Amino acid sequence: MNEVVVRLAGVGRSFGGIAALTGVDLTIGAGERVAVLGASGSGKSTLLSLLNGSLEPSQGSIELFGAPVAGLSSGPRRELQRRVGTISQGLDLIEQVRVLHNVNAGRLAEWGASRSLASLVWPRPDERATSALEAVGLGWAVHERTERLSGGERQRVAIARLLIQRPELVLADEPVASLDPTTAAEVLNLLGRVTEVSGTMLVALHQPQLAREHCTRAIGLREGRLVFDAAIGDLAPTLLDELYARA
Amino acid sequence: MALRRGVGALAVLLPLAWSMRRALPDGTVVNSGGAPLIGDLLGKALSPRSDGEFLHVVLQAAGTTLAFAVLGTAGALVIGLLGGLVLSDVAWSRRPPWPLRLLRAGLRGLLVAVRSIHELVWALLLVSVLGLDPLVAVLAIALPFGAQTAQVFGDTFDALPTRALRALRGAGAPALPAVVFALLPPAGPLMLSYSFYRFECAVRSTVLLGAVGVGGLGQELVVSLSSRNWDEVWTLIAAVIVLSALVDAWSGRLRTDMAVASCSEWSAGDSTGGVGAAGRRRSRSTWARWTTIAVVPGLIIAWVASGVSLSGLTSNRTRMLTGRLLDDLIPPALPRGGAGEVISAVLDTLAMAVLAMAIAVLITVVVSPWAVTARRGGGPPAPLPVRSARWLAWAVARIVLLVLRSVPPTVWAVIALLALFPGVLPGALALGVYTGGVLGRLVAESWESVSPAPREALRRSGVPGAIATLAAVVPASAQQLVTYTLYRFEICVRETAVVGIVGAAGLGRLLAENLNFFRFPVVTTLLIASFAVSLASEVISRRLRRAIRA
Repeated sequence: MNEVVVRLAGVGRSFGGIAALTGVDLTIGAGERVAVLGASGSGKSTLLSLLNGSLEPSQGSIELFGAPVAGLSSGPRRELQRRVGTISQGLDLIEQVRVLHNVNAGRLAEWGASRSLASLVWPRPDERATSALEAVGLGWAVHERTERLSGGERQRVAIARLLIQRPELVLADEPVASLDPTTAAEVLNLLGRVTEVSGTMLVALHQPQLAREHCTRAIGLREGRLVFDAAIGDLAPTLLDELYARA
Repeated sequence: MALRRGVGALAVLLPLAWSMRRALPDGTVVNSGGAPLIGDLLGKALSPRSDGEFLHVVLQAAGTTLAFAVLGTAGALVIGLLGGLVLSDVAWSRRPPWPLRLLRAGLRGLLVAVRSIHELVWALLLVSVLGLDPLVAVLAIALPFGAQTAQVFGDTFDALPTRALRALRGAGAPALPAVVFALLPPAGPLMLSYSFYRFECAVRSTVLLGAVGVGGLGQELVVSLSSRNWDEVWTLIAAVIVLSALVDAWSGRLRTDMAVASCSEWSAGDSTGGVGAAGRRRSRSTWARWTTIAVVPGLIIAWVASGVSLSGLTSNRTRMLTGRLLDDLIPPALPRGGAGEVISAVLDTLAMAVLAMAIAVLITVVVSPWAVTARRGGGPPAPLPVRSARWLAWAVARIVLLVLRSVPPTVWAVIALLALFPGVLPGALALGVYTGGVLGRLVAESWESVSPAPREALRRSGVPGAIATLAAVVPASAQQLVTYTLYRFEICVRETAVVGIVGAAGLGRLLAENLNFFRFPVVTTLLIASFAVSLASEVISRRLRRAIRA
């Protein structure tokens, strides 16, 4: 395996005594594109939230890029978070502002306070912002208000924000759940382009077919436990039946 | 249910009966010697002073009032923005470490204390340090308004969706840029609208501050009132009303354009009401654009015109006087009459507030139903004479409410004191008339949002209009009236200080007397007593409002 990007050992997380994730061991190397499959409530979002640091594990340990995540002080923690890009179904865009502002939001960690504030008062599209927007086909929308864009366009703004962040690990939580099949395929292709730089992606999906087309490996979660971990070619219908069968 | 109603009725009637007893002691309350003065005052209503020289004075005073209000509001917004960010939970992605938590709790307490002191009392305290400096007016507005704004902005931030902020923090963005990027844009329209609501209040408060002598329309009013130049009084009152109406109209228009919280929502502390609505704002409001463009030049003009300078804050004299004031204020002491005098003043304050609220509710019930802007129902339009009569009633009701709330309570008090001997009654009358104007407007605005659908449904099934209104509109409207009455009661308790200062009764009067004689240790005791009374009334009113909503 290439350099290890993600390593989970016995990771569990519970909410008010109810376990959302239990005893997950998982290692992901650089360049892998991993589909995270499972029914609603199986623990997919919890897993991704643990990886981007918005949740902390109740048990076990997490290592990213070869270093433990627990106990980091705020500086190194931010540096680590800068290397991880997240995109979720809700997109988390700032609706009331122009597209450029949302794209630049991906650079705040790199920019620091004074430059960030300056860009808010005096937003100027530079080469990187323009090319990120052009890469997602939104070169025309730099000065559009985000709330006026369609669902698919907004999805692409969120991807442009990831492109400009240049993360080494991309976490995508059901990024195509509300999109039609053509747009969904486009979005996953674009996410693939984000990871061309960094190589590694975890994407929670509900459509096994999309996983087959866009990923190299698949893991299955059921009731918070890892029930399979297979190369994408080995993703057999029986595995999926077991994953989505009612308890 | 019946039991609850009974308890509710007793809770209203008992304090009212007690307050009436306190306001009407055995001796005479009516000053028969004042009747000719009242006659003079009314006689001049039709011949206000309108020569060029005096109008020039009035115009200049109006400019000063406006400049103080602009600068005071600006100061309040700076305090409010910083305080709001510190107080809001959202701005802190994680639980802050304990020293910071302690600091936040301290700041919260400090802000509560700062806003519990009325701006007029602030002005009196600041005058004893800064002298009659224009800065006094600005700070006396900025401090209590800033504390209030911090609370509202903090609540506004906490009511916003946090996903975008969490996403930015999750991507490693430092705290301040993340907050500025993700929270300020969605909060912007609400903050602008609230700023204008505050500005509206600031104009009224600046007029009040005239009683201290810091300039503007209020001071001219006090001078003309005390020299009994009634013709000047009427001109000045007209100027106050016009200024107030212009600012109200401007700020009202801005809020309608941006479709954010109405005045009534803001003032009832429901800052979250507008968060969802902000999305429905008119995307290109010319008013909002011009207002935004006018902010910076407006501030500069206000700064230059008012002659405010910050140098007073850092001068040696100020430092010395502040030191002396703080030395004098501590330790607190009782007034000459002992604890009994303080308790009696507290009881007077409460009685005054209860009576004032009763008067205000009476005014509201009589005037507000006419002041509601009617929405067209589904039926055929009423005949022209009916529509004209309705419009006329609406205009008169709105003007009455505007006049009642635009004339500062101090002026109402001075007028009441012409006819009545000092005591609880003139204070309650003055405060009641003024509060009636404020409450009447809030309630009329909130009644506009009562859904007409249930009434229309009854009408369609053949129920006569009046009965349909009684069955479908009155219950919902009554609840809003009660909620706003309780909320205004809190403010009314605080404002008793104002009428006290011009000589009515209660803690305000005692405070003004002791400040006049530089008995600062007593002032501290009285400030603590005012703080306790206003905190208690706030807690009780908040509990009751929550109980009603439940």
